[in-house]
Amino acid sequence: MVQVSFYSLLRLLLKRETLALPWTPGLDVRQLLTRVQAEIPTPFLDRLLDADGTLIPGTIILVDRHNIHHLAGLATPIPDGATVALFPPGAGG
Amino acid sequence: MGKGWIGKVLRVNLTEGTCAVEKLNEAWAREYLGGRGLASKYLCAEVDPGVDPLGPENKLIFAAGPLTGTYGAANGRYMAVTKSPLSGTIASSNSGGCFPSELRYAGYDLIIFEGKSPRPVYLQIHNQNVKLADASQLWGQSTDRTEDLIREKFHGDAKVACIGPAGERRVLFANIINDKHRAAGRSGVGAVMGSKNLKAVAVRGNGGVEVADPQGYRTAALDSYGLLRNNPVSGQGLPALGTAVLVNIINQSGALPTNNFQFDTFAGAEAISGEKLAETYLKRNKSCLGCVIGCGRVTRLSGAAYQGSGEGPEYESIWALGAACGVSDLAAVTKANYLCNEYGMDTITAGATVACAMELFEKGLLSEAEVGMPLPFGDGAAMVKLIELIAKNEGFGQKLALGSYRLAELYGAPELSMSVKKLEFPAYDGRGLQGMALQYATSNRGACHVRGYLVSPEILGLPEKLDPQAIEGKASWTKIFQDFTAVVDSVGVCLFTTFAIGAPQVTRLLNAATGLTLDEEGLLVVGDRIWNLERQFNLRAGVDPGQDTLPKRLLDEPIPDGPLRGATARLAEMLPEYYRLRGWSADGIPGEEKLKSLGLS
Repeated sequence: MVQVSFYSLLRLLLKRETLALPWTPGLDVRQLLTRVQAEIPTPFLDRLLDADGTLIPGTIILVDRHNIHHLAGLATPIPDGATVALFPPGAGG
Repeated sequence: MGKGWIGKVLRVNLTEGTCAVEKLNEAWAREYLGGRGLASKYLCAEVDPGVDPLGPENKLIFAAGPLTGTYGAANGRYMAVTKSPLSGTIASSNSGGCFPSELRYAGYDLIIFEGKSPRPVYLQIHNQNVKLADASQLWGQSTDRTEDLIREKFHGDAKVACIGPAGERRVLFANIINDKHRAAGRSGVGAVMGSKNLKAVAVRGNGGVEVADPQGYRTAALDSYGLLRNNPVSGQGLPALGTAVLVNIINQSGALPTNNFQFDTFAGAEAISGEKLAETYLKRNKSCLGCVIGCGRVTRLSGAAYQGSGEGPEYESIWALGAACGVSDLAAVTKANYLCNEYGMDTITAGATVACAMELFEKGLLSEAEVGMPLPFGDGAAMVKLIELIAKNEGFGQKLALGSYRLAELYGAPELSMSVKKLEFPAYDGRGLQGMALQYATSNRGACHVRGYLVSPEILGLPEKLDPQAIEGKASWTKIFQDFTAVVDSVGVCLFTTFAIGAPQVTRLLNAATGLTLDEEGLLVVGDRIWNLERQFNLRAGVDPGQDTLPKRLLDEPIPDGPLRGATARLAEMLPEYYRLRGWSADGIPGEEKLKSLGLS
């Protein structure tokens, strides 16, 4: 299984904190996002990705708490049992 | 005097009880802009850096910037500048709300307070009518009540900046609260105000701010508004969730200091997150004057344990009163935040000092009898109680009122104070974020997050994503961010706008308002000048470059948990390059040539 956690505006938009999906061999972040969107009626990918499918500056996606910017981006493989955290751009201080 | 600046300084001698208006030094205004930079210039020119911060020889300067009170990009900030009683460094604390703009509408860029009043007073300003009024009935009142009473007695529309009982009692991290909930928070500027027997400044102004190029300014302002509204951070995230959105981001990223920096992930983070705040106590968001972001949180507590209403808590306050103390009770954190605002204390140092005490207690260096209660990490009720004791200067609160460094030193363990130059860290562990480690160590006011905010590229990915564990290039990033934030603090713009706008927009607004002809490079030179001026003050105050360091915990003890497990702050590898980029000697001293190039020699 893969546990997806929604944070920030996504949680307000989707009114849910998590979603569990079955893991499949070869699963990467891009494929996971597509599968999550298919499970949820409210469109949300535009909060994370540009129209051309690249990460919006400031989007944070963590696979087991590691930022995919420093892994393989949207092609980062997701291991079975992983937790994936989705944050649309956010800041404060 | 050029447009943008009003061109007037109000000088208040509290010893003599006199108020006089003088012309703003135009040359200094062009070189240091306003706010933090210009007030620092006045302070350096008029105050011996070796002065006792709580003595009458220290001065306290309120300074708006040339953009304060104009529309455009959240242009409503002012700085309180003085010598800090907590750190001994130059102090400059920033706040927004309505008070800063009102000061300009009344016809002043700066107020300089000098001396010490023989009795409690507050300053009344109604345009050109200025006088010191008796504050004996205000002394002892909360910040909230003080503002209400001043409005009843002086003017119903007055904007008020004041201290609470903590400032009156010289709590070393007392702050100055304006508009009831906005804080010039750090470094103990409220204690300096209290030492002068100055309870409040109340302003009513009916004027405006003229800009040099109205059409150019309008175009620049509309462009900035568009960028702010269309940016997902300033246009969506901050209005909806406020700064507290960071709790889950920083915790998931493994850099949320927990239990006085013993860990970097907090199991209770979700319970004190911005998302949880929005679901529970948040009533609405709120803006400072002219701001399109609206990051302020209007909240209300109505549970069995805690009641009250106010604004916040903000991210840094949630961290200090929450994760730093191991507290996951959001109601307790919110109540403690209200108390800090009402008594007038910096939430960061207050929470971090309680966290230090909790570690002293758990290590057996501090007894239950001395505290008056058990003090384990995670005890929200004890944390709230101690906040009250600090503000009232009662019992163990008298020792906590000294801040974490002096507290830990009293118990023979100064290494347990998580601070730089005696100012406590905010909510990001420098072991996990190498740029922040360098920024903390080199900041002119100690461990501060708003003297650069490398968190933005290192965690948030703005303007681009940097590897938080890499050290390559971090010295350069740190210098640029430090110089730019020095400018932002000096023109009167809110730092939060810089998630959406940058040096090009600030340069356009500044030039159109003042008639200056700076380019972006020139803007950063001004920032460099301000940074070096502050450094000169600190060196003369005896804050030597050896204090450009971090607590032993950050340097030698690897993070024990989370995705950044094993990391330590690699300061020694970055500091030499930072000094070189600053044009300083290998020992961290600005050379004559460098100072001359900035007009500082």
